[in-house]
Amino acid sequence: MSRILDRVMDGMDIETFIICVSEDEGRRLTLQMFREMGFTDADIVFIQFQGPGVRVRARAYVHRPGDNYGWLKAGPVEGDVK
Amino acid sequence: MTPRTILLAPIDPVHDVGLKMIRRGLKEAGHNTILLPPDLPPEEIIQEIINKRADTVLLSRTLGYGVAEILARFVDLADALGVRERVKLGIGGMAIRPELAAELGFDAGFGPGTTVEEALAFVEDREYVPEQGKRDKQKRDLTASYTYAYGNSVIAELLGQITGGILAWVQNKTSPGVLRARAREELWDVRRWRGYGKMTEFLKEYPGLCGEMTRNFYLKGIMHPKTRRFTREEVAALENYVSKTKERMTVPGLQHSLKKPMVFNQYGTGCPFMDTGHIKVSEAWGADGVIHFDPSWGARTEGFMDGFLTHQEDGTVITPANLNRIKQSLEPGTLWQIRAHRGLNTPETAVLAGKFQADFTKINICYGALGAGTDPARMTVDGVAAIKYAAKYGLPFDIVTNEELCGVPAHKAFAGMLISCALGLRLGGKPVLQPLFCYSPEVMVEGWMKDNYVDFNVAKVLALRRIIDAPLWPGAPIGFLTHTEDRIQSSASTAYHASLAAMLGVDAVTIASSDEAYSGGPISAPSKVDTLRAVGEGFRFFGNMKLEPSPQALEWSWQIEEDIAKVLRQVSERGDFVGALYDGILGSREDGAYPGRNGKDTVMNV
Repeated sequence: MSRILDRVMDGMDIETFIICVSEDEGRRLTLQMFREMGFTDADIVFIQFQGPGVRVRARAYVHRPGDNYGWLKAGPVEGDVK
Repeated sequence: MTPRTILLAPIDPVHDVGLKMIRRGLKEAGHNTILLPPDLPPEEIIQEIINKRADTVLLSRTLGYGVAEILARFVDLADALGVRERVKLGIGGMAIRPELAAELGFDAGFGPGTTVEEALAFVEDREYVPEQGKRDKQKRDLTASYTYAYGNSVIAELLGQITGGILAWVQNKTSPGVLRARAREELWDVRRWRGYGKMTEFLKEYPGLCGEMTRNFYLKGIMHPKTRRFTREEVAALENYVSKTKERMTVPGLQHSLKKPMVFNQYGTGCPFMDTGHIKVSEAWGADGVIHFDPSWGARTEGFMDGFLTHQEDGTVITPANLNRIKQSLEPGTLWQIRAHRGLNTPETAVLAGKFQADFTKINICYGALGAGTDPARMTVDGVAAIKYAAKYGLPFDIVTNEELCGVPAHKAFAGMLISCALGLRLGGKPVLQPLFCYSPEVMVEGWMKDNYVDFNVAKVLALRRIIDAPLWPGAPIGFLTHTEDRIQSSASTAYHASLAAMLGVDAVTIASSDEAYSGGPISAPSKVDTLRAVGEGFRFFGNMKLEPSPQALEWSWQIEEDIAKVLRQVSERGDFVGALYDGILGSREDGAYPGRNGKDTVMNV
């Protein structure tokens, strides 16, 4: 059974709003969140801090150009339509 | 087909527009319809189903709160009263997801974006097939309706003098790039290559015309450090992916009721596999054409490698095998451009573009020499050869003016563009003008576009239109230097520029992804979808509306036209186009343009 993540063409973005006191804190929390989710190749694409916190979009690359792409050899995943 | 009796009910306080639209479609198809008023309780709706002897029921729900509870109650009641087993139940609306509908026991669930045709297919018990037209995008020649007649006789005369001088100057000159292009043209046969035929003569001559890195590839098998060959298993997997994806593909247009502009985006992740993935996404979200973006080191390298190669950095290496695979992955109606506008492989790129039946190439001598690092003399010799090959293969070529991004004022960049255009016309080619639609350094410094990104871009188009009747393809990409890392802002800015271009009636635009300003990693597929969707929405919003140029735009357009003539006069008086490039007449060091050094002293007299 393949991992669903194998089907991600390149990167996976997470967009959210994090309550924090500064852009630095928002940045640190976002990257920590990705690490907690098991992603090591993560970066912040866009972040903007205003009083309530940060509007952030961060990306974890699942497949970078030149990798062996899971989506080319992906078998069925659980719940696939037969 | 037997007409059905369909009861339509908004299970919602007010929202019934979608149901009314579907009702119209059902009536036009000959069915009997009963539309109930909004906000009836489930009991009353079910009573009406029984009274009217409906055989199909279409409910709609727009508001999200309590949706699961209300619909579950409806289905339970319908079950209890014996209605459920004899009527077909469909539910649609903004609050509906197909998973929810299936879970609750509906026969179909229609989410946001459902078409009348989809609902009709459900009612008539047939499979929904998207409109055939969406599968049949036709290629169009965007140069077809233009006469290339000059509207400014002074500029026409100056261009005649300058191009005459250039053609006389290059007549007895050649370069390693021109010689490689000739070898590729005369000794390398694409059909034989596709049939795995040997290219003995070509391989005997070609490596000797290449630089060290490429020569080492052919003679010693040493690869560029950032490249590798694909394995057989990877290639088989790609072929499988492409064929399976093509079976599912539809190719919608973004233009709605408009005929133009055609929308292009670039690919060039470094890896032809990832490019293929991105191309299929771009096509599926409405791109009319795609542009091959090669690595920057490719422009500084004499010669092309061979083989199906991936590259770990930006820009996909040009090799016959890479181009061939990418070509095979394209939908039949997708336009394909291979850029040859800069660097030491310009004429050979035009030959490969011709042999692999690309639809466009891209050539600009001035940009290549002043903004892209190639020696002006070399770029001139190679540029003229490239234009000849483009003409031979019937390849229209756009003339990009991205030297504006270095700081070169628009009128100087346009003077250079018009020189390449005039050369193209003299050599039987089909040039396309590519003014930059952007927030260029020139206007930043002058403070001309603080709160108006329209007037200066409009002025460029008006000026060019008065000078010559030629196709216009703003780029590249539109909105350059207005994008930020915020995908919403970036997509909106792209859509505004595309809409402005559409209102001006241009022929094509090149758009970026919403990752344009993000430099932390490769461009992602979703970011391409972002801007394609935004541009489609822009085209829909403005439709056929035309832009009324402001007095400022008109004033600037006259100024640009006048300044172009002044620059061309200076070039003509200099009597030496290459000298004019070195002297900065078409973009100076003060402006931010620097004559390139790649290929310096490689021009040879024949």
